Amino acid sequence: MDPAQQWRLMQTRRNFFGSSGLKLGGLVAGMLAGSAPQSGLFANDVATPTNDRVYPPLPGYPHFAPTAKSVIYLHANGGPSQLDTWDYKPGLQEYFDKDLPPSIQGGQRLSTMTSGQTRFPVAPSKFRFRKAGQAGIWVNEELMPHTAEIVDEISLMKTVHTNAINHDPACTFVMTGSEIPGRPSIGSWLAYGLGSESNDLPAFVVFTPKFPADSNGQALYERMWGSGYLPTRFTGVALRGSGDPVLFLQNPAGVSASDRRTMLDALAEMNQLRLQRVGDPEIATRIAQYELAFRMQTSVPELTDISQETQETLEMYGPDVTTPGTFAHSALLARRLVERGVRAVQLLHRGWDQHGSLPYQLGNQCKQTDQPTAALVKDLKRRGLLDSTLVVFGGEFGRTVYSQGTLTKDDYGRDHHPRNFCVWMAGGGVRGGYVHGETDDFSYNVVEKPVAINDINATILHCLGIDHERFSYRFQGLDLRLTGVEPQHVVREILK
Amino acid sequence: MRRWFCLFVAVAVNCLLLCQVQGADEKIRFNRDVRPILSDKCFACHGFDAKTREADLRLDVPPGEDWSGWVITPGDPSSSTLWERIVTEDADLQMPPAHSHKTLSTTEKETLRRWIEQGAVYEGHWSFQPIPSEVPVPSIDNVQHPIDAFVRQRLQREGLSHSPVADKSTLIRRLSFALTGLPPTTEQVDTFLEDDSQDAYERLVDRFLESPQYGEEMARYWLDVARYADTHGLHLDNERQMWAYRDWVIRAFNQNKPFDEFTIEQLAGDLLPNPTLEQRIATGFNRCNVTTSEGGSIDAEFLFRYAVERASTTSEAWMGLTAGCAVCHDHKFDPISQSEFYSLYAFFYSAADPAMDGNALLTNPVIRVESEADRTHIAQLQQEISAAREQLQLAVQNVQYRDPAAADVVAAPTAIEEWWMDDEFVSSGRVQASPGHATEFVSAPSSEVAAFRGQKVLKRTDAGLTQDVWETSGPGLKLPPQAKFVAHVFLAPENLPKSIMVQFNKGGWKHRGVWGDYDAIQWGAPQTTERVSLGELPAAGQWVRLEFPVETVGLAPGDELSGFALTQFGGTVYWDQVGVVGEVNPATDPAFSFQAWWQKVATSDLAGIPAELHEIAKQGPSDEANADLKKQLLSHYLLHHCHAVKEQIAAPQQSLVSAEQKLREFEASLPSTFVFSDLPQPRQAHVMTRGQYDQPGAPVEPAVPQALPPLAKGDTRATRLDLARWLVSPEHPLTSRVVVNRYWQQFFGAGLVSTSTDFGSQGEPPSHPELLDWLARDFQSSGWDVKALVRRIVTSETFKQSSAVSPDLYERDPKNRLYARMSRPRLDAEQIRDNALFVSGLLVSQMGGKGVKPYQPPNIWEPVGFAGSNTQYYTQDRGTALYRRSIYTFLKRTAPPPFMSNFDAPNREQSCSQRQRSNTPLQALQLMNDVQHVEAARSLAVQLLQDKSAEETLRLRKAVRIVLAREASDAELQILSGQLTKHRQRYAADPDAAQKLISMGETPPPTDLDAPELAAYTLLANTLLNLDETLTRN
Repeated sequence: MDPAQQWRLMQTRRNFFGSSGLKLGGLVAGMLAGSAPQSGLFANDVATPTNDRVYPPLPGYPHFAPTAKSVIYLHANGGPSQLDTWDYKPGLQEYFDKDLPPSIQGGQRLSTMTSGQTRFPVAPSKFRFRKAGQAGIWVNEELMPHTAEIVDEISLMKTVHTNAINHDPACTFVMTGSEIPGRPSIGSWLAYGLGSESNDLPAFVVFTPKFPADSNGQALYERMWGSGYLPTRFTGVALRGSGDPVLFLQNPAGVSASDRRTMLDALAEMNQLRLQRVGDPEIATRIAQYELAFRMQTSVPELTDISQETQETLEMYGPDVTTPGTFAHSALLARRLVERGVRAVQLLHRGWDQHGSLPYQLGNQCKQTDQPTAALVKDLKRRGLLDSTLVVFGGEFGRTVYSQGTLTKDDYGRDHHPRNFCVWMAGGGVRGGYVHGETDDFSYNVVEKPVAINDINATILHCLGIDHERFSYRFQGLDLRLTGVEPQHVVREILK
Repeated sequence: MRRWFCLFVAVAVNCLLLCQVQGADEKIRFNRDVRPILSDKCFACHGFDAKTREADLRLDVPPGEDWSGWVITPGDPSSSTLWERIVTEDADLQMPPAHSHKTLSTTEKETLRRWIEQGAVYEGHWSFQPIPSEVPVPSIDNVQHPIDAFVRQRLQREGLSHSPVADKSTLIRRLSFALTGLPPTTEQVDTFLEDDSQDAYERLVDRFLESPQYGEEMARYWLDVARYADTHGLHLDNERQMWAYRDWVIRAFNQNKPFDEFTIEQLAGDLLPNPTLEQRIATGFNRCNVTTSEGGSIDAEFLFRYAVERASTTSEAWMGLTAGCAVCHDHKFDPISQSEFYSLYAFFYSAADPAMDGNALLTNPVIRVESEADRTHIAQLQQEISAAREQLQLAVQNVQYRDPAAADVVAAPTAIEEWWMDDEFVSSGRVQASPGHATEFVSAPSSEVAAFRGQKVLKRTDAGLTQDVWETSGPGLKLPPQAKFVAHVFLAPENLPKSIMVQFNKGGWKHRGVWGDYDAIQWGAPQTTERVSLGELPAAGQWVRLEFPVETVGLAPGDELSGFALTQFGGTVYWDQVGVVGEVNPATDPAFSFQAWWQKVATSDLAGIPAELHEIAKQGPSDEANADLKKQLLSHYLLHHCHAVKEQIAAPQQSLVSAEQKLREFEASLPSTFVFSDLPQPRQAHVMTRGQYDQPGAPVEPAVPQALPPLAKGDTRATRLDLARWLVSPEHPLTSRVVVNRYWQQFFGAGLVSTSTDFGSQGEPPSHPELLDWLARDFQSSGWDVKALVRRIVTSETFKQSSAVSPDLYERDPKNRLYARMSRPRLDAEQIRDNALFVSGLLVSQMGGKGVKPYQPPNIWEPVGFAGSNTQYYTQDRGTALYRRSIYTFLKRTAPPPFMSNFDAPNREQSCSQRQRSNTPLQALQLMNDVQHVEAARSLAVQLLQDKSAEETLRLRKAVRIVLAREASDAELQILSGQLTKHRQRYAADPDAAQKLISMGETPPPTDLDAPELAAYTLLANTLLNLDETLTRN
């Protein structure tokens, strides 16, 4: 409904708002989504709320039939070692402590943390791998026994590469398609383009779960779930592990829901008087936002209350699941969110930056993530949600085959390696049991089928029914895209 | 909630508006009507950028000397190829082509057709055209104010008129927010309402312009442009200290610094002749960009990024040009070539600040910010130092010293100890710690670790490689004869390191000893003196003395070390009393024998010896030497080089050291601030191929784009000062237009050019071009007088008219581009918080200083903070710091305060000239529940209840007067009273709940008020603080 029309409607229904805001019905629901800025003009399309959708998609979206309605993006922050998880290189055992052949290293750029090393001794993975699933995908069975059980659901891309060699630019790249801060995150793009199926919860929700205390936790940046130049209402809403799950959700001590209702009724009446006087439709929008806020005060606690989950479900996610703020708890809530129609969920788990003591620290990381990740996929599947939910798991770069610091058979570290690393996807139209691309014997270079960061973003958009080339936003005179100006390609091989 | 950039808005909606108004017969104007269409749909392939130009066809300029092959026949669309290709049905021929994903609407096609029909007349891009020296003001009956005349002229054309002037209550609140960011006091409202004089409003304007809060409000907008914040912004996002720049901006507005000076000082204050402290602080503008110190980063990449950022920000802030596009290629839409961009970049590429900020509070270049009082105190401390020095001289004169080399002295070998670290590092050098872990001395952390000797021990904990490094650029640490290196170490048994290491620098870090895991730290060639294994880790849980001859690590007595390091891999390690021991023969050792020393300096090095003694020093020991000079040389020796008399002069020496220490500490306690300056030798800038930092192309020198007026410079390389002066030169077509437009936007919610950082061809043309030019010309003629411009704007009828809107007018002009009413912008984040503090009486008006940390929900910094960052944990301030104006809130860029980001404040990672204004449920939750707002509501309630005699209606009226600066209507009183009754009943029944509610916040509630009554009024005040009217500049 366009604002002018909305305004007229308000004029003819002056008495629409009775003494109780609880009577607020479809009309208000129709205005619930944040409105366009009061100032300035949009050349960009902005979705206008309808009677039954608070967060509707843009007109004409999705572009074509989607294979996924929601995405859950599990981000292993710090740069998980591909060599110790998925990219199995048994031949490396012979190279233990031998120098990486210069022909492999190829004079490529190194981070300045190891560029001064006099030697680049090869560190084979100390872990046992096995061929898992019917597909027989190699996986580190010591650290990822649970994930090994879901390999028939996933497409594993072994040849993802990035431009950045350090965390800050690399994370920014993965999440926003650009190394330079200021671009919208992929979740914000999805919220902008597709809105949300839920009227009571935000379209894009973010978790920053706890991570092992003795791991090397790199920083996160709010820009990783920020809306950049898109309207701010598409920013990811953090569901927090401690304090209010959504900022300022709880009424102050001594204020009950019914006190708040009394207050909101008076507020709506006062605002309604004002609307009649000055006629600015923004006031109607504000009334609606307060009503949505009130509904969130119920819907969010309902979401985070997992007491109705079966014991069997809880056990599936592992012992951490009942502790708010853990990866396991967040993974369960992620399922509950997509169940309720939330479009994009992001879990950012820190601590995957193993410059030293890699085997020990990586073990700790996997202890927190392996079981819940596998449980999430299985849980979605048995509920019939995996067909409509795309699950993505990946970090911002990989790690070097050569050791940083101490090297023994059981202990080593690895530096940042942008040239190839592993990302997997499951559900939402993605093939199961498939491995995409191959790296050389040292997992140092891509041999075939390279996948760029923005190829992944293009693929995610594709699964959600969006043509990434047509998905742009006018900013500073340019039609900007998540996937940037370089040509990018949907990784079609991984799609069903 | 979060945002980076502001919103820039664009063309289409306004085109609709403009097309609506342009009658069928009206002449099509290229800039207004045609260029936006061509720019959006055609220029990418047929525009300025030669590299992407197809079919050698340009549509941005008519054919000229360097270009022909036009596809338009002026006056005749049907014989114009352009038109044919637009209307053809043949998909292979149709323009724009399908792969561009661009199409032309029917209206757009019609506009192009009529433009060709009318002769296809081009105009240069409007914003690059000179500003006319005179812009005639339209003559409109009964309209005096120039702004109103321009606005009225347009309104008349549209068949519209201004709305009536807003009522006085609305006016004073609107004006107060516009000029001070705060609401008026009830006294100010009463005075204004009673003042019937003609110039009451004008005097009110002057009063607000003179208030110090004016500068705070104006500075807010500029600090968005300047991307000011209190952290570095990348990776660790550690604190940085440059709030003196923020305070400079506030002062500049309060002193009404002309905008041309404001410009020059920020861009090039350091290059002015004898720059003042203030002028140098101003250069902080281009140190506000985000910086990194992430391990592994490549310097060249970041030096490149910083210069790109500074050039782009400067272009956007002053010229409204999105020059950043030209980083990678020639600008597709505007006449800025890639090499021209890099010429702008060259002005900033020689910046003196390093690629890595060191995660330091102060990254050079910085300047100390000292007041007059500070300077007096420094002079006094310097005096104390002089006095102590004299005392020391006196002591030296009285010292008992006999040269052991003298014939009648029998000298036995003497043991010697030199401690380089004992309670502190020796002061002749400086200590640098591994990033993220400051050097830490602790006093007896536990009984086991009781300080080995003295008061303190050095402590270090880390999971990996970490160290404290001492280095000096002055005289080094000398190894005595028979030297052995000694250190005392205590390893925490519960957290053992893998290894510990000592390292020495003699012209290079090539001497290391390691205990424990030999390979944990892989520095130095193995099995050489670059890395010598000295055994297992020492026993943990006790102090162990480590000792080895210096030869073990390839050093020798007499060597001078310029540095040493105490290093470990993992664990917790305490160090104490580190240095050398040795043995000397006093008769031949220069540290004991004057003769020996004199002999040595005569043949080696005179460094450190006063110039007037060089002659005699060079002579070597001699009885014939001038007795007076010899005595002076002896004094110098005793004071600086003689180990034998150390004890005798220890007391006065200590006095001198502590006097010097006092000065150092005081100076260190003074704030410093980041400033901009250049390297002594400029770095050569290059065009960077495809914007890649490691792909330098042709070299470029600092210069300005050719499409703009030429740069006035001397014969030498152009400087930032030349650039700054050029920006504010009278012939520059952009700066004054961009600046007045930004002020217009500040007061009306949107600019005359709504794309306020894009004055290029992809931006929107001005809604009132003549008004914009008149304002720009007038601003320049006034001497860039900002207060005069502001006064001009807020005294117009256009600003003063009512903001009420009828459905017809709303439908006609939803975005208020014609100004038939005043806009009604929601208050900004800072204004919303400041307003709550102000009306509740909590606001503390103290100005300036270090950023403060008010209430913030738990777990905002922590979930994102880097483990080693000094902004990982948020420690809320106490007392008055909670109630300062929001402009003084500490801004951490990677996790900004929710009260700011929730209401669309930018995170200052990039320059922002225009904030969005969203309206979300998260905002509602914040204003209802944030402790800051609940405490403010309680505090307002206390004000209402304090007059115990007043009855309810009076209180409610007063509440509305305080919050809304107007009288309450009967209908409103009825609503509020009904609400109050319900709350009162509820809290009377549950006094515990009441007590909880009124106890929110750090300020305790008064005890003499009835808790249920206060709680009821608190929720009433909470309602008032949440009203749309409260959150809006009406």
